[in-house]
Amino acid sequence: MKFKGKAWSMLMLLVIVAVVAAGCGSGNNNGGANAGTDGKGTKPAAGSKNGNNVVVGLNANFITLDPHNAGDTNSISGARSMYEGLMGFDENMSLKPVLAESYSISDDGLVYTIKLKQGVKFHDGTDFNSEAVKINIARIQDEKNNLRMRKSFAKVATVETPDANTVVITLSEPYNAFLNKLAMGLMISPAALEKYGEKIGQNPVGTGPFKFKEWVEGDRLVVEKNADYWQAGLPKVDSVTFKPVPENGSRTAMLKTGEADFIYPMPTEQVNLLETDKNIVIDKTDSTIVRYVTLNTMKKPFDDVKVRQAINYAIDKDAFIKVVKSGLGSALDSSMSSKTQYYSKQEGYGYDLEKAKQLLKEAGYPEGFSAEIWGENDSETMKGMQFLAQQLALAGIKLDVKSMEGATLSDQINSAKTPEEAKIQMWFVSWSPSSGDADGATRGLFSSEMFPPAGSNTAYYKNDNVDKWIAEANKSIDANNAKSIYADIQKQIWNDAPWAFLGVDQVISGKRSYLEGVKVYPDGSVNVREAEVKQ
Amino acid sequence: MGRYALQRLLGVIPLLFVVSVLVFMFIHLIPGDPARLVAGKDATLEEINGIREQLGLNDPLWRQYIDYMGNLFKGDLGNSIRSGLPVSEMLASRFMPTIWLTIFSMVWAVIIGVLIGIISAVKRNKWPDHVGMITAISGISVPGFWLGLVLIQVFSVQLGWFPTGGVDSWSSYVLPSLTLGAGIMSMLARFSRTSMLESMREDYIRTGRAKGLHEFVVVGRHALRNSLIQVVTVAGLQFGFLLGGSVMVETVFSIPGLGRLLVDSIAFRDYTVIQAELLLFATEFILINLVVDLLYGVLNPKIRFDSN
Amino acid sequence: MSQQSTTAEHRSSGGSGQEAAPAKRKSAMAEFIRKFSKQKLSLVAGIFIILLLLVAIFGPYLTPYDPDAPDYDSMLSGPSLKHWAGTDEYGRDILSRLIEGTRLSLAVSLSAVFIAAFFGTILGLLSGFYGKWLDRLIMRSSDVLFSFPDILLAIGIVAILGPGLTNVVIAVAVFGIPSFARMIRSVTLSAKETLFVEAARSMGAKDRRIIWRHIFPETLPSVIVNVTMKIGGAILAASSLSFLGMGAKPTEPDWGAMLSMGRDYLSIAPHVVYFPGLIIFLTVLAFNLVGDGLQDALDPKMKN
Repeated sequence: MKFKGKAWSMLMLLVIVAVVAAGCGSGNNNGGANAGTDGKGTKPAAGSKNGNNVVVGLNANFITLDPHNAGDTNSISGARSMYEGLMGFDENMSLKPVLAESYSISDDGLVYTIKLKQGVKFHDGTDFNSEAVKINIARIQDEKNNLRMRKSFAKVATVETPDANTVVITLSEPYNAFLNKLAMGLMISPAALEKYGEKIGQNPVGTGPFKFKEWVEGDRLVVEKNADYWQAGLPKVDSVTFKPVPENGSRTAMLKTGEADFIYPMPTEQVNLLETDKNIVIDKTDSTIVRYVTLNTMKKPFDDVKVRQAINYAIDKDAFIKVVKSGLGSALDSSMSSKTQYYSKQEGYGYDLEKAKQLLKEAGYPEGFSAEIWGENDSETMKGMQFLAQQLALAGIKLDVKSMEGATLSDQINSAKTPEEAKIQMWFVSWSPSSGDADGATRGLFSSEMFPPAGSNTAYYKNDNVDKWIAEANKSIDANNAKSIYADIQKQIWNDAPWAFLGVDQVISGKRSYLEGVKVYPDGSVNVREAEVKQ
Repeated sequence: MGRYALQRLLGVIPLLFVVSVLVFMFIHLIPGDPARLVAGKDATLEEINGIREQLGLNDPLWRQYIDYMGNLFKGDLGNSIRSGLPVSEMLASRFMPTIWLTIFSMVWAVIIGVLIGIISAVKRNKWPDHVGMITAISGISVPGFWLGLVLIQVFSVQLGWFPTGGVDSWSSYVLPSLTLGAGIMSMLARFSRTSMLESMREDYIRTGRAKGLHEFVVVGRHALRNSLIQVVTVAGLQFGFLLGGSVMVETVFSIPGLGRLLVDSIAFRDYTVIQAELLLFATEFILINLVVDLLYGVLNPKIRFDSN
Repeated sequence: MSQQSTTAEHRSSGGSGQEAAPAKRKSAMAEFIRKFSKQKLSLVAGIFIILLLLVAIFGPYLTPYDPDAPDYDSMLSGPSLKHWAGTDEYGRDILSRLIEGTRLSLAVSLSAVFIAAFFGTILGLLSGFYGKWLDRLIMRSSDVLFSFPDILLAIGIVAILGPGLTNVVIAVAVFGIPSFARMIRSVTLSAKETLFVEAARSMGAKDRRIIWRHIFPETLPSVIVNVTMKIGGAILAASSLSFLGMGAKPTEPDWGAMLSMGRDYLSIAPHVVYFPGLIIFLTVLAFNLVGDGLQDALDPKMKN
């Protein structure tokens, strides 16, 4: 049976050919039905790009496009491509007027008189005017809607519209961060609100540089050029496609192959390698994102300030940046990042293992102690906790690393109704104030009214002066006064060490070299307003 | 056979009912508060409570279940807790990518797997058998996420043959189907090898050989047909599993499918989406079981459909 | 009702032909060894597994370095004479961690599979032997369990019980139970029909005795084969859990955890993932090959 062996190999060949053919055939049908937004089936030539459509790869899905209800950074990025507020942020998180032409604040800090830009239209043709502003604020404030933005506008007492281009907002009490909040309150077309009602989150209509084209939940958000944009010369690209790509390695691969023109976040591990690629440009900016470990100041042994300071001395922050952040970032030298409003630099807590041991001894723990550290289960947090365990082991502190799924962790922290019930000892976490204001970086974390479950003061930090100062600063109408109060707050917190202060993240993005103008702001939102493809 | 199918279909209803109760209890047992997760990190207690009230999460559990089932019977799957989008729309848009991925993976896995199985069985304990089996077993010996990431590095980044992921064109599906199908291919290869070996020992095969029929005919017509029956059952079962979506492959290749939706929904304790998705899986699974059973009957007329 | 049972019944029908009389055990054993050693691939794989077990037992004496000692000055360095498998993102010796991890990974997968086999076998025996409502109850429950995506079960279990290797074992074990139960049930069904069970019963033997002395030995070959084959799957399942952040503690040198933590370095320091990947691959491959060999050797229908 010599024939047999040959027959089998022939058969195998035949089948393989059939598989390939069938695979291609059925695939093509699908491709037709599912044709890509920009036909990116093939690899583009390195260094240049066909067409004027930009693809941005992000790490998570969009949740909603309703700007008054968006809480996560990605949804905010998406919303800001189509929407604008009276105020806005520039790339340093400084405030600037956007839809407002100018504004003035009364001496008592209560009345904000805002002149609006003229001739601005929403994408659906509706005029942008004072009435639109009033309707938007009313929507945010309406208790029935229960929108996430509501608490930011809780102090708004009245909104008056003396003429079409003037809005007068009166607050019930002075609110230092109100302009920041105005920058978060983006303006939706009143006609669209009327038309879509609750479905406005799927049908965004704003004044921004890009118009909504389509949103396929979980797959992509496509926005296209608003040809009637009020600022001449913008936008410079025809469309922007946002794609969620959760896996770090895959997102980086997309940038390398040119399937994505811009990715954020860029995994820190890859930065050094990609910086050598001439087709790729890496952008790094200091962020408002701070990383730290909260130490439960009401629990032994962390109730002793010496123990908390010892921990701060026992951690080599430069090594933290080097090992955990691949050298990208800086040491945290206050309770907030240098990019946050009213930041004030503090001194001390340089790496000093001997001093740490000395402090532990004074506190009555010459042999160290054991403790639990909690954190979420993403790879960066797990890496950070492992590093801390290695560092503190040298000072005799034995850490049991517990990584938990985010929702479980949040439940563990917030199910304690009183400080006494709390099981939390140490928590490795990060924080970023959503509107870049000092209040957002302080009150929720250090005010004694903000113990879980009411807020995020997971260190259970209580200092009467700090409590008092936070309230004062909030009502302060004078920027210099506010600045000096916040300096006091930061100094006090630094000395009390309710945290192990670790580092400030850099926001790192990667882009193809032909792309200009796409920026990541210090709060981690991606801004595509000035995107431009250089041919 | 029609009556049998009908009977089986009716039997699905109590099973789905049990599944719905269990799913409901199970996901509420997992710690986590969707209202807090929806509200975000700087939400006030008042806000959180408002959301909880809005979503009916303050009601007793049995009440929530009854409300849910009531809406379900009206054909309303509710809205996602997290995004507010209608669950039915979310499932619909996530369904097709998972279906395509499943079909592509199954097609190549079945063909290659069965082929390797046959060759290995015919050439038992000779080198083609060894090569075939090692190839096959390799398929279930690597973690899917690792295989996927390596394939992306090699075929997308180095060679530039296929996209790194997404669902924009047919070529996007090549690498994910390879990754997902590897395990199935291997399972089918081993399975069909074993059942081929068994069939080839049956009397009628021996008779065939004794009658001087060509080995090709013996294997092709008799042994293969017999073992095909079992291959169908295994393949069917796997198909059912795959329809649930593969979390890892969908994550690595950024495919907006059901598996990733499930993981995202679990992370946010998006009860409505999890419930709907699990009911969908259970239904798929049961229906596929049914289809496989019926196919079994078609391939092997000796089986009678008695309801037991 | 479902297809798995039909399949398994078909496959195991050969079991009824096996001689199980104690007097013949010895020669059966010799026969088994003779047949198993003919499977050269499986033999090699078996030797590999024995080596792994030795490494697991004597691991602490074999590690060239302290597997937990970081060295921030030589992070991510490639394989060299000093570090045969290179160092990881903390500068720890990867070879030492792999050796240390052998014990963990084998312990996790073996215990998960044994737990699944234990409960699955009991349920399968009861279900097959008693039939009726008990059978229906057990089989329907396993249908329900089957239709749950395993990932949800695992996430749920880890979320409820908390993180850590013990709970990984439980999670992996729970979704292994139904398939064992189904398989053992079908073997039991066919064994129940065989003559000696009939004989034992007519002599007035108690149920427990019949199950334990007559039926259980019949199912043993299938149990052994399945345990071997499922170990590989359990190693992979545990590493998938690590991928989702639900696996071993990040500090533990579990293979899956090493692979999953290292994947961010795939393009800059591939050795961080290739070595754990390779060892997982070889181990799973070996267990599967041995399983195949055992199946061939234990199945009486497979006589040459």
